[in-house]
Amino acid sequence: MSQLTRHRWCLATALLVPWLVLASPGPLKLAGVAPAWAVLWLLPWALVDGPLSGALAGLGLGLVLDGLHLGPISEIPALALLGWWWGRMGRLGPPIERSFSLGLLALIGAALLGGSLLLQSLLAGGWPLLPALHTWLAQTLLTALLAPPLCSLQLLLWRRQTLGGRS
Amino acid sequence: MPPGRRQRLPALGGILQAWPWVLLLLALLAVRLSKGAGFADAYALLSRPFWPGSAQGEWLRSAEILNSQTRLSQLEVDNRRLRSLLQLQTGGKGMVSAPVISRQPGGWWQQLVIGSGALQGVRPGMSVTAPGGLIGRVASVTPSTATVALLTDPGSRVGVWVGRIQRHGLLTGIGTSRPLLRFLEKDPGVRPGDVVVTSPASTLVPPNLTVGVIQSVDERAVPATDAVVQLSAPLDAVDWVQVLVP
Repeated sequence: MSQLTRHRWCLATALLVPWLVLASPGPLKLAGVAPAWAVLWLLPWALVDGPLSGALAGLGLGLVLDGLHLGPISEIPALALLGWWWGRMGRLGPPIERSFSLGLLALIGAALLGGSLLLQSLLAGGWPLLPALHTWLAQTLLTALLAPPLCSLQLLLWRRQTLGGRS
Repeated sequence: MPPGRRQRLPALGGILQAWPWVLLLLALLAVRLSKGAGFADAYALLSRPFWPGSAQGEWLRSAEILNSQTRLSQLEVDNRRLRSLLQLQTGGKGMVSAPVISRQPGGWWQQLVIGSGALQGVRPGMSVTAPGGLIGRVASVTPSTATVALLTDPGSRVGVWVGRIQRHGLLTGIGTSRPLLRFLEKDPGVRPGDVVVTSPASTLVPPNLTVGVIQSVDERAVPATDAVVQLSAPLDAVDWVQVLVP
């Protein structure tokens, strides 16, 4: 399975996700809504390290983030599924490295993650539909906009690590 | 020259000599009728350099503030004593100040993380205030942090009281920056600008904490009137909060 986890510092970069969620930097918000940092980290990780590692990383991130947030809704199902799906894409297809492709995958990922949260919150009966849609759209758009620069950089770094490990 | 005309000339001359006095009399009459206009203004103009300066104004203001604080503390003591006599919830024993170390007032979760936790005596369910009023309740604690569910969180429900109309309502977070106040009856007579405080009968939060101001009212809401509340504490800019220890 995972070549990236052999490099401890690569795994340690996952700590950036809860840190960014907690720090919630103001300039990186759209209409008061932060991007889906978990998606921005998980996408390159899963593309480089495969479906099993991606799913496990999604599960781990989901556990941490659910611990940081209140309420019954969970990010675990969407993140685990996304990790597995992106891992399969990274393994089976040609290498994905174009900015547009990364942005599109992040858009779909953030939309799925937000959709799962939206569904859970509607089922739980807490959120009215309009504010939830506003949050969902803002987070999806912002994540897609940030994905090309951030995910390209991570892909570059991690592919170098895995290539270095093979050679 | 006719003798009659000679006699009228001195009278006209007398009037001409007396006209300044007539004018003065008229001016004094005007002063009398206008309650001192002119005199008071002239006095104000001349005495302006000797008016009390800003220092005296500050002294008066600080004296007024001191007076208000003293009255407030006396009223609080009275209020606490009366509430204990009525066996209602009291305002609490004290408060724990805590810095805000993470702020997420928007998005899927509307919460703050504060830098005081179980070690400082913070417990789940405690009320949290900021400059301006109540902002939420502690939802979970770790040894050194606590997570505060804001009033804007969709899971938040707090009983509130609108003093002007003497009506209770339920303040419900809807995921936006302004929570919704749901009244228990139709047409309670609420209007924008009414101040919302925590309910005197609430068992979850201390009574009479300022919450916010009614921003708009939807009287056509079903089954009862709804109102949007602008919170008085600025959630986006809160740096320090106080956790009320019951």
